Amino acid sequence: MTNREKTFNKNILIAVDESENARRAVSYVGQLLGGLEGFSVLLLHVFPEPDEDFFRTQAEKEQWMEKRRQKMESVLADYRGMLIDSGFGEDQVRTRSTMRYCPSMAECILEERGETEYSTIVVGRQGLSRSEEFLFGSISSKIVNHARNCTVWVVE
Amino acid sequence: MPEPSLSQQNLREMASRWLSPSKVPGRFRVHEDTTDFFRVEYDDVVVLDGATYLIRHNAKEQRFGLEDEVKFWVKRAIDLQDGELKILKLVFYEKFLSHVGDLEFECYRSPRKEARILDLVAGHPGFMQGHAVEDTGGNLIRVLDFINGRPLSKQINGLDLDHETYFYERLPGVLNRFKEAVEAIRFLHENREKHGDIRRDHILVDREDGRYRWIDFDYNYRHRENIYGYDLFGLGNILVFLVGMGDVIVRDLATRNPDALNTLSAEDLNLVFQNRVVNLRKVYPYIPVALNRMLLHFSRGTHVFYEQTSQLVSDLSEVLEAHLPPPETAEEKGETNDEPGEDLQQEHPHCGG
Ligand SMILES: Nc1ncnc2c1ncn2[C@@H]1O[C@H](COP(=O)(O)OP(=O)(O)O)[C@@H](O)[C@H]1O
Ligand SMILES: [Mg+2]
Repeated sequence: MTNREKTFNKNILIAVDESENARRAVSYVGQLLGGLEGFSVLLLHVFPEPDEDFFRTQAEKEQWMEKRRQKMESVLADYRGMLIDSGFGEDQVRTRSTMRYCPSMAECILEERGETEYSTIVVGRQGLSRSEEFLFGSISSKIVNHARNCTVWVVE
Repeated sequence: MPEPSLSQQNLREMASRWLSPSKVPGRFRVHEDTTDFFRVEYDDVVVLDGATYLIRHNAKEQRFGLEDEVKFWVKRAIDLQDGELKILKLVFYEKFLSHVGDLEFECYRSPRKEARILDLVAGHPGFMQGHAVEDTGGNLIRVLDFINGRPLSKQINGLDLDHETYFYERLPGVLNRFKEAVEAIRFLHENREKHGDIRRDHILVDREDGRYRWIDFDYNYRHRENIYGYDLFGLGNILVFLVGMGDVIVRDLATRNPDALNTLSAEDLNLVFQNRVVNLRKVYPYIPVALNRMLLHFSRGTHVFYEQTSQLVSDLSEVLEAHLPPPETAEEKGETNDEPGEDLQQEHPHCGG
């Protein structure tokens, strides 16, 4: 079989939360690609819909979610600013936050990617111990294991 | 306090069907709203959706190395219609950071979760049975059938056997039961529910049939990536406890088995609880490799994790079929034939009155 060269697009998806390691992932992309032509970045936050069990009342739930949503908006704006400061054009950086029920965050993130829209996914890594990985699982490991038809950068 | 349709005279008549005359209270306090569960006391009556319960003792739970903890929101009660013993779980909300070793995560109680699971497991012999009903204060009370049985922890710790005898004569039967318990948890997971607080004292060993039955479903935790990881870790800890006939503590080996102690390294200890030995084959060499390999999934040295209950079930099945002696039927009898519940003797109207 001949090895026809595969084409990769210059669209990059960075999956972020409020953590320090997500910030590092953003910073990495800024330092690596800031000022270069043709790239476009989507900063994606998947907001896991909390279990209804977590709240006593619906009102309590809505209040909590509204607070989280506002917090995340400002975090995303902050990350966007970081990329622009490192040389990305305003029109090269988009943000999206979406709320979903997520038994697995990694799977949620991968589902948001769309089939071919982004050739590259970037995530941070916490550096979990083995016991933490057993008990809580690792989003970055799962993304590495489950992602298909794209390249994954894990920033530590 | 409102005096509902039930008169004191009614209540006395109902109670005297189940209690000896000297135990029938002279006057009953009646609660339809249990929000302040501290006020619901011994000999009080709780009315829920037409059913009448006479309150007995608060439940207690054992704690490691501490006095028993009194659970003021968990009451034993007699259903005055039919004399059946029940557990009433009143509403107690808490949210807290739970610590497992050095790890920290967010836990909370949810009456709704327990009610949902009770519906899901209705008729399933691997779980406690019951239903939920709202009191007039809007609290979701769980009314549970009382399980006549001891916690698994007590049963194992109470065995007067050396480990080798236990291993050959009891463990196959115990693991057979445990496999059913793991299958019960698999059933929850298949239905997108966590147990939330898997511990050796949240399995009661039913005295009637020797079955292991899960209790206490109201805990939930915020997971990160691995939704069932904490449940699986709990199952692993019980498995190690069962195979070891109790916890094998590093410190104890210094006197009991210094040779084994010398062969242990950090990798052989529990993933989280670093005073517990998980690589039990180093202490008890007759433990088959296949079983020991299961235990090692929960050790600090592990590179592979169980991600699903079904993996645990299939490994257990294989060990039971190919690597352990067949369970003795005597084991079943031996376990269930012991004296009736020590608690029950003082409590149950049919026995005590
Ligand atoms: N169905 C039941 N049958 C018998 N005893 C029970 C039952 N449910 C709970 N208990 C007893 O009450 C104690 C506390 O109940 P549990 O549901 O564990 O409450 P909590 O959520 O506060 O820990 C248990 O440890 C057990 O001793
Ligand atoms: Mg409990």
